[in-house]
Amino acid sequence: MIRSHVLVCGGTGCTSSGSKAIREKLAVELKEKGLEEEVKIVQTGCFGLCEHGPIMIIYPEGTFYSRVTPEDVPEIVSEHLLKGRIVERLAYTDTGDEEKKPINEISLSDTAFYKKQHRVALRNCGVINPESIDEYIAMDGYFALNKVLTEMTPDDVINEISKSGLRGRGGGGFPTGRKWSFAKASVSDKKYVVCNADEGDPGAFMDRSVLEGDPHVVLEAMTIAGYAIGADEGWIYVRAEYPIAVSRLKIAIQQAHEYGLLGNDIFGTGCPPSSITSRPGPTSPRSS
Amino acid sequence: MKSLAELQAIKNKMADRVSVRTSSGSTRIVVGMATCGIAAGARPVLNAFVEGISEAGLSGDVIVTQTGCIGICQYEPVVEVFEQNREKTTYVKMTAEKAKEVIEKHIKGGTPVTEYTIGATQL
Repeated sequence: MIRSHVLVCGGTGCTSSGSKAIREKLAVELKEKGLEEEVKIVQTGCFGLCEHGPIMIIYPEGTFYSRVTPEDVPEIVSEHLLKGRIVERLAYTDTGDEEKKPINEISLSDTAFYKKQHRVALRNCGVINPESIDEYIAMDGYFALNKVLTEMTPDDVINEISKSGLRGRGGGGFPTGRKWSFAKASVSDKKYVVCNADEGDPGAFMDRSVLEGDPHVVLEAMTIAGYAIGADEGWIYVRAEYPIAVSRLKIAIQQAHEYGLLGNDIFGTGCPPSSITSRPGPTSPRSS
Repeated sequence: MKSLAELQAIKNKMADRVSVRTSSGSTRIVVGMATCGIAAGARPVLNAFVEGISEAGLSGDVIVTQTGCIGICQYEPVVEVFEQNREKTTYVKMTAEKAKEVIEKHIKGGTPVTEYTIGATQL
């Protein structure tokens, strides 16, 4: 019976600062202490605090450890997981206020960085295992798609999106509902939903975060968009320099097909036949 | 995937497995798991609580967690129950059997099992 989850960030930032070695060390230590039946290791996407990586969160306490090294792992296992004592020197405690809370009561959402945030698109990043479609479903994943396909017409969907006020996030801020209504009105025997995840802007990281941390949310949204505008095929153009994003996207697409959440006859509605393909772009030209 | 029911079934199946991360936990059961607690047999007690709470379908409301030594080693395994609007209850010299009784009578029934609490022992 699992009583504790150890979440280790597997995003690009933490992977480059060595989180893979931490997961491996953790597995060895848990086995050695006979805890492998009680403690589960979960690889997640980016938490959003890459400069404090590699990051580890231990539930149910929600203790947030930052800048963890493989050498710290035996202490975390024998102190926190075995004896229930928080390793204070590794605990991130920047709550940004005067009030000093006992260290075992500080969870990630109490820190100054997260306190005023309400995460929407990234709500599952750092919370679920991005390679598990079941964990996405556990967080209400694919329920929106079900509602759209079984209860709403394409026009209902577009109206709802318009009413929501959702806009493009690229700077132009074009209203998404209008974009979809134009796409729906466009007459063609074949339409596509194209997701641009090439993220060419220097230093930009958000497409990468969502693809690495919660790829199914992108697939679900694309399928909803496809239903609204009458497209049956989707393409994701993703940077080849984002190997983790590419690999998790492929896993997600395969899982969605296996569950019948992509393909023909989703939820027995007969429509829309949908498929999504990811295509890594050519690597960026660089000077030699 | 042919129906909402299938999707809901997966969500339900997973609920227990992600509840460790998402539990709002208005009630916290804290088991002392320092060296003294472990030596006195806290591990089977902790496991009995984790399993009992899950079997009772209360994983979304009750957090089972552990802590270090609270300083009354001779009374280990010590278990404290924190609830809203009530003073904490401290159980001492716990066993897996007593844990099951605490879940039934206290967590589900709302009445602390007085005979196992620290108040019942002569400190």
